[in-house]
Amino acid sequence: MLEVKNLDVAYGHAKVLHDVSFDIEKGQMAFFIGRNGAGKTTLLKTIMGLLKPQNGSITYQRNEISGISPEELYLQGMRYVGQEKKVFSNLTVRENIEIAAYASREPLDQALKKVTAIYPKLKSFLEMRAGQLSGGQRQILLVGRALVGDPKLLLIDEPTQGLAALVIEEVGKILSGLKDRVSAVIVEQNLAIVKQLADRVYILKEGKVARGITEKSEISDTQKLEAYL
Amino acid sequence: MTLDKARVPATKTDPGKELRLETMITPTRGRVWVDLLVIAAAFLLLVPIISTHRVTDFMIFCIFAMSFDLMYGYMGRLSFGHLLFLGTGAYCCGLFINYVSNNPLLAMLVGIAVACLLGMLLGLIIVRTTGACFALICLAFNQIGFFLVLSPLKGITNGEDGFGIQAASFWFLNPGSRASMFFVVLFCLLLVFYLLKRLTSSPYGILIRSIKEDETRVRFLGYNTYFYKWLTFVVAGVLAGLAGTLTALNYNFVNPNVMDVHSNVGVVFACLIGGAGNLYGAILGGVAYMMISNYLAIYIHRWEMFLGISLLIIVFRFRMGIWGSIKGILEYMRKPKQVQRPVEEEGV
Amino acid sequence: MPYTILYGFSIGAILYFISIGLSLTFGTMRVINFAHTLTYCIGVYMLITFTPLLKGNFIPSAALAILVVIPISYLIERFIIRRLYGESLDYTFIATFAITLMGVDTVKWIWGVNPHPFSDPIGTYLKVWDFTFPIYRVIIFIIAILLFLALELFFKKTIVGKIVVAALEDKDGVRCLGVKVDKYFAIMFILGSALAGLGGVLYAPISAIHPYMGLSVLLLAFAVVIVGGMGNLRGTFVAAFGLGMVMAITARYWSQGAETMVFIVMAIVLIFRPIDI
Repeated sequence: MLEVKNLDVAYGHAKVLHDVSFDIEKGQMAFFIGRNGAGKTTLLKTIMGLLKPQNGSITYQRNEISGISPEELYLQGMRYVGQEKKVFSNLTVRENIEIAAYASREPLDQALKKVTAIYPKLKSFLEMRAGQLSGGQRQILLVGRALVGDPKLLLIDEPTQGLAALVIEEVGKILSGLKDRVSAVIVEQNLAIVKQLADRVYILKEGKVARGITEKSEISDTQKLEAYL
Repeated sequence: MTLDKARVPATKTDPGKELRLETMITPTRGRVWVDLLVIAAAFLLLVPIISTHRVTDFMIFCIFAMSFDLMYGYMGRLSFGHLLFLGTGAYCCGLFINYVSNNPLLAMLVGIAVACLLGMLLGLIIVRTTGACFALICLAFNQIGFFLVLSPLKGITNGEDGFGIQAASFWFLNPGSRASMFFVVLFCLLLVFYLLKRLTSSPYGILIRSIKEDETRVRFLGYNTYFYKWLTFVVAGVLAGLAGTLTALNYNFVNPNVMDVHSNVGVVFACLIGGAGNLYGAILGGVAYMMISNYLAIYIHRWEMFLGISLLIIVFRFRMGIWGSIKGILEYMRKPKQVQRPVEEEGV
Repeated sequence: MPYTILYGFSIGAILYFISIGLSLTFGTMRVINFAHTLTYCIGVYMLITFTPLLKGNFIPSAALAILVVIPISYLIERFIIRRLYGESLDYTFIATFAITLMGVDTVKWIWGVNPHPFSDPIGTYLKVWDFTFPIYRVIIFIIAILLFLALELFFKKTIVGKIVVAALEDKDGVRCLGVKVDKYFAIMFILGSALAGLGGVLYAPISAIHPYMGLSVLLLAFAVVIVGGMGNLRGTFVAAFGLGMVMAITARYWSQGAETMVFIVMAIVLIFRPIDI
């Protein structure tokens, strides 16, 4: 589904990612863990086309995609949910979804149904200005927005960051409901979620993939994971 | 000092030019004297080609360009109102001579002092802003100054028509004599060049260049960037004021044109075409612009169009300017087989 | 006094037409477009060219003038503005200023430097109580209000409007939802330029027409956008009329100080609310 090989990404002359390689298969969820500043956000942004790599290749559904614009990649099924939890705060929740439905040409009611399916409570918020939503509600709206159209690969950056424990549980449930329906590359610091959902775990340290774990048994071993951080 | 070791990454403002602080400090004192001699010789050589009076004009503009470049090229702040200081210097100098004493040196000092004060006061508020805000607020104050000399102060400034200056001669400073003015202005030019050279080669110079690249980082290193920005603003204002007083004495006449906002484009063009962030560049650019506006205008009627097109070409293709290209060629000749060292920095 | 208020409103209306485009271009593309008022100037000169050809009919000449402005603004967007995305500010300033220089020179070349007179196309007056108001100025004001309402509707109800509102806040977010934002920004740019042309065309009968008219109005437009907030359309509306009033009232007591007053207001606003670019 997605294969990244020897990726080098730099901001000006400051190199952030060195020779990063990994891959995931269809329906799998890969998690990236690592300290702040390791380059995880940069990685996701590069895959989505928001940043251009200096070297290396990104193959998505057997096509080379590095350098393709995010707008194009969206139409090929890639979805990006950023770290800052930015929604379109001046628009209502419904209008946020409307914009998502626009490019994918999905009828609005169908899109709304999809989003409220994963989180029924959203129905009561539809006319509310997105800027007034709480952090958790925003995160859920963002994930919901990403499900409009025909998503194939989700790139999510720290979905549970800054959220209350109960909300983290909700988000975890929602993500777990998506398993096997879509593939995902998720950046997370919350190891419980990683344990719960990951098919693969990659540890990013100072811009390099320090370790890739594909054994379920190893993933469940929290101490081992922590040791790698 | 941590700044010595810091490496400042290139940004889009200086494509491909990594600022290695070690190389920014230009070498020893001896070199400066050579530069001064070269500059003096160059201008002296121009005299037989163009008249003395014109060359004096050129030199005054070069002083102005250097003052502008300090703020724009070195510190990265584009101002659209730098003429305010030139005009202030010119008007105060002229008014002093006409109303108080016709000692030209004293008048110059007064002009410079007022420009200094103005810079200090305005700098306090203006320097807090950046980018477009900075440019436009400078423009606003320039407009206000222009308006002041045009209208409310019409009584003393004679509004649109301007006024003549009858200055006496003082030592070597004789506004009546073209030769005298030439040498005085040349002296001022060399002095300004020397001062700015020392200033920009000092830690202060490194600091303001770092501010241009990444102010937040400099602040995190513990420096009070506000003070340094303010200082630069004041110095630039003072030097522009000096240029203003020289203008007044050179023409023995002052009118609102010395404060005209539209003339700002000339000095911007000069710094760009010469190469921003460089004193030699400022001088080269100053001469280039003066040549173009004085002589090209005679041959090409649509010289403003030419100015516009060349500005576009500079912005899109020729950012390093004349001096930058010269430097590039010199460097290439010096080390033709330089291997590109790969740049590795720790992950962000 | 009522004349002053009407003049304030009509100046405000013209400022509004011109500033919308500037505010939008800045808010969307983060480019400070110094060449914005070029379309204003060109619109006017087109008007004075077409009017005698169309036998003095104002409205069709005005419409035609605005239509001509559209492809010109497209060219500017396509070849210059687009290259300035993400550039440092000084270069966008300088490049767009260069375009203005070129444009002004072209106008001087074709039409000459001397001011052209152009008269009020309606010429009738409205009699209210003891005052006679030129209807023309009232109409300008009404058009401005209609435009404001139209824009409000556009940004609130149409999908393109909503996309622009969203993109003003989070451009990358909109891009990651598959929408080609740059295309819509280009449309906004052209719309803004056309509105500037409209402003020029409406203002021509009551002002002096000369090649530098774009420049003189440009600074005022910047002042409006700064006071009203970049990319903030309602703010632009309020600021335009506010500053229009300032100009009218200042002109009454101190005829040459009108523009300077605007700059003083702008400077004060900038001091207390510096913009971050």
